[in-house]
Amino acid sequence: MKIVVPVKQVAALDDEFELLEDGSGVDPDFLEFELNEWDAFSLEAALTLREGAGGDDSEVVVVTVGDEEAEEALLGCLARGADRALRIWDEALSDADPLAIARVLAAAVTPESPDLVLCGVQSSDAVNGATGVALAGYLEMPHVAVVKQLDYDPAQSTATVKRELEGGLVEVVRLRTPALLTIQTGINEPRYANLRAIKQAREKPLEVTAPAQLGVDADALAAAAGSRRRDLRPPDRGEGAEMIDGSPNEVASRIVEIVRDRMSG
Amino acid sequence: MARDHKYDILFEPIDIGPKTLKNRFYQVPHCIGAGSEKPGMQAYHRGMKAEGGWGACCTEYCSIHPESDDTSRVSARIWDEGDVRNLAAMCDRLHEFGALAGIELWYGGPHAPCMETRATPRGPSQVASDFELNIFPRHMDQDDIDTVQQMYVDAAVRAREAGFDIIYVYGAHAYLPFQFLSPFYNRRTDKYGGSFENRARFWRESLYKVREAVGDDCAIASRFAVDHLLGPQSIQVGEDGIRFVEHCNDLVDLWDFTVGDIAEWGQNAGPSRFFEENHEKPYTGQVKAGNHTDNPVVGVGRITNPDTMIAIINSGQYDIIGAARPSISDPFLPNKINEGRLEDIRECIGCNQCISRWEIGGPPMVCTQNATAGEEYRRGWHPEKFHPAANRDKGVLVVGAGPAGMECAMVLGKRDMSAVHLIEGAKEIGGSVNWISKLGHSDGKENLFRGTARGLGEWSRIVNYRQIQLDKLSNVEVHLDSTLSAEDVLNYGAEIVIVATGCHFATDGLNAATHEPIPGADTSLDWQLTPDQVVAGEKQIGKRVLVLENEAYFMGASVAQKLAGAGHEVQLLTQAGDIASYMEYTLEAPMLHRDLHRLGVGIHPYTMVERIEPGVCHAYNVWNPAHKEQFEVDSVVLCTARISDDQLYRELKSDPDRLAQEGIDAVYVIGDASAPRMIVDSIFDGHRLAREIDSQNPEMPLPFIRERRLWGDSTNEDYRTQLLNTVDVA
Repeated sequence: MKIVVPVKQVAALDDEFELLEDGSGVDPDFLEFELNEWDAFSLEAALTLREGAGGDDSEVVVVTVGDEEAEEALLGCLARGADRALRIWDEALSDADPLAIARVLAAAVTPESPDLVLCGVQSSDAVNGATGVALAGYLEMPHVAVVKQLDYDPAQSTATVKRELEGGLVEVVRLRTPALLTIQTGINEPRYANLRAIKQAREKPLEVTAPAQLGVDADALAAAAGSRRRDLRPPDRGEGAEMIDGSPNEVASRIVEIVRDRMSG
Repeated sequence: MARDHKYDILFEPIDIGPKTLKNRFYQVPHCIGAGSEKPGMQAYHRGMKAEGGWGACCTEYCSIHPESDDTSRVSARIWDEGDVRNLAAMCDRLHEFGALAGIELWYGGPHAPCMETRATPRGPSQVASDFELNIFPRHMDQDDIDTVQQMYVDAAVRAREAGFDIIYVYGAHAYLPFQFLSPFYNRRTDKYGGSFENRARFWRESLYKVREAVGDDCAIASRFAVDHLLGPQSIQVGEDGIRFVEHCNDLVDLWDFTVGDIAEWGQNAGPSRFFEENHEKPYTGQVKAGNHTDNPVVGVGRITNPDTMIAIINSGQYDIIGAARPSISDPFLPNKINEGRLEDIRECIGCNQCISRWEIGGPPMVCTQNATAGEEYRRGWHPEKFHPAANRDKGVLVVGAGPAGMECAMVLGKRDMSAVHLIEGAKEIGGSVNWISKLGHSDGKENLFRGTARGLGEWSRIVNYRQIQLDKLSNVEVHLDSTLSAEDVLNYGAEIVIVATGCHFATDGLNAATHEPIPGADTSLDWQLTPDQVVAGEKQIGKRVLVLENEAYFMGASVAQKLAGAGHEVQLLTQAGDIASYMEYTLEAPMLHRDLHRLGVGIHPYTMVERIEPGVCHAYNVWNPAHKEQFEVDSVVLCTARISDDQLYRELKSDPDRLAQEGIDAVYVIGDASAPRMIVDSIFDGHRLAREIDSQNPEMPLPFIRERRLWGDSTNEDYRTQLLNTVDVA
């Protein structure tokens, strides 16, 4: 059994932060980086399945698109029990959108021929909820999003999953594998790595590659991209607020005036 | 980060007579156990607050003459040049940081038992102390009055020489000047008794004489209880309280307002269990806000919230935020507000452990929240600065996130250890604090006197502060809901293992009185409970409940309050002479007794349970075991011994070879897992180990500086000369 778990090193904001002058993002001085919360659950799901399957031929591979900083997330996953890790990076990816990221991930995942690809539902910083589903498209795999319970039957190459819908409804889906699932938080209780595992993680295989080496050139990336971030800024101050000064009588009279005006309008 | 502008007022200077206070943060006089005889502790404790931004710090009450001797409680003393020299160390330290130094000149009258000096205290009338045991003052005639007023003047001159900026004529807490003012003590018929003006005369004259002597150089302050809380038989704010402020306003540069007296000074140093922040406002808030003085006013009320501080100033209650306990809990409170780091404020929990050590007499002050309080000099601990550990490359595993474990992991993190893992079996950190902080309530009704049993909710600040700090430390990982076996620990990969697994209550009645279990005691039965089971609420508790307490602190009484408040008929038994004895020291006892009495709890001191049967507890009087008593009960709560949960520690230690094989250099046990204790001591234990984790043998505390006279040093010659001058020795 082989399970690929795409993960992301996300940025968490300090209580107070500043934007870059060109509006292209948050000043990195105000960011802290950590493994995306959802990915802890998808990794745990993968590790649990691998442990259930037993045997030496089962493998959990974590993969990320990110610069050197992102290696911390991969090391964390290796410490928790992933078998090997792959990091893909090129400066050209620094403002890539989910579709471009998915295109790169697909190039890395395809040669692995996994039985399952487990993504998080979304990343906590960008909150697109798109990468996983787009990746399924590139891999031409059946997929189910927002999975809160997973029952995988390798012998039958099927997975039965439950997904959360509005109003407390639960949808039960059975699908053929290989398949891609996006995993919701709360599906399990992610383990933590002890100090020994953290040290040993550094001994595990961590391969670094670039899109070009995976056969994705600049043109292919550009073709895959669906959107581009143009501006990041706080919302404009709302219109319509009026500060009323004066004595309680004057304030009350003005409020009556406003209410009358709005009711008649 | 800069401070929020709404707090700007807190950082505006204010003139106090000839001196200028740089901001509105003022450490009022409070005891620490240093006095004049531990000058290092005195200088460094007050100095730490000056470094942390307090604009002024005062001594504790400072005796002006051997006739005012509070032994065994520790006051400062300014009796001679030696005291001047020792207290000057404090002044110098404060001045280094731009803070003013205040001294509270004190004459106790009958409240000072003079057990060291063997002197006879003088008082306005021969009325016995309501605080001390069997102490009567000598009635003062005019010569006595002149003599004592000269003591104030001489002490003030010495204080100026030592470098003090603010000199108090201390009359609060019912000490001598207040004894003259209050008809509760003053039965005189001469010009110092009777009318208000006569009763105020001693205080006014003393202020005048001190002001004449040093008023050009030093600010003159007076600490005054605006209401004695005794009703018409003493000072009430609406009567003589305000009248006195107006009467002496011209002689005072700074008013320091309090309420109550020394016999029940928990009304002033209100424990959080009964009093909320700024609880003196109904009294102290009437004076300046009512335009009865135009002098600067300082006052207290366990004020830790900067929004409360600005409300106090804007309402005209005080101009200056006074603090004793909040300044102990966080000496850097002003700087943290100034730097916009409100989340880092280590708020006082109002447990009054600091006060308890003064009440006991002798031990240095301690603080539950701030383990470095009182340790600034003798151990060299700074509350905000931490040396990187020499062995910082070691990985540390701390098992258990109760008070000791949280504190230890936090300090190790601040000491820059490369990796600290804090592992907790429960779903949140905090350990016993999480359920203890749910105790202390009764029925929510007002007490006969004043105040309500508010509960120990503020004790959860112990957890909140550490949670925030742990979250900030990137080298500390906290993992919850995870219980480690010895095998897990051995395989963890840590070089240093610290076991902080807490303790549990005896289930069989094992207790401090008999050192044996109680026949029939078994808290696995559905009608017998340990205190934590009472809070957990999983067992049905019957109408009639017997609570046995053998621990002498808050647990048994708190359980009784809770159950009586919920409508149970409660009998509270203890082998000791009083329930919850330690709460006398924390000043919680008077209000506790009022609450228990109002709730109808039956209190049975000197009574021990002999055996427990369904429906009945057999008890006996400890002085005459043949004197039996039976209690018909539906449920029994056993607040008896606590027992360390040290199995993990013992198991790890039992196999040194395996420890070595797994690369574990050391295993330590801290807090209740080492020996059950009070929370203040658990936090200290965790802090101490972390502070000394890179010492040669971290298990053994490093020696601390002992401030004592060494035989054979130069000062001995002075003493020798004095000795030779006494006739009998020659």
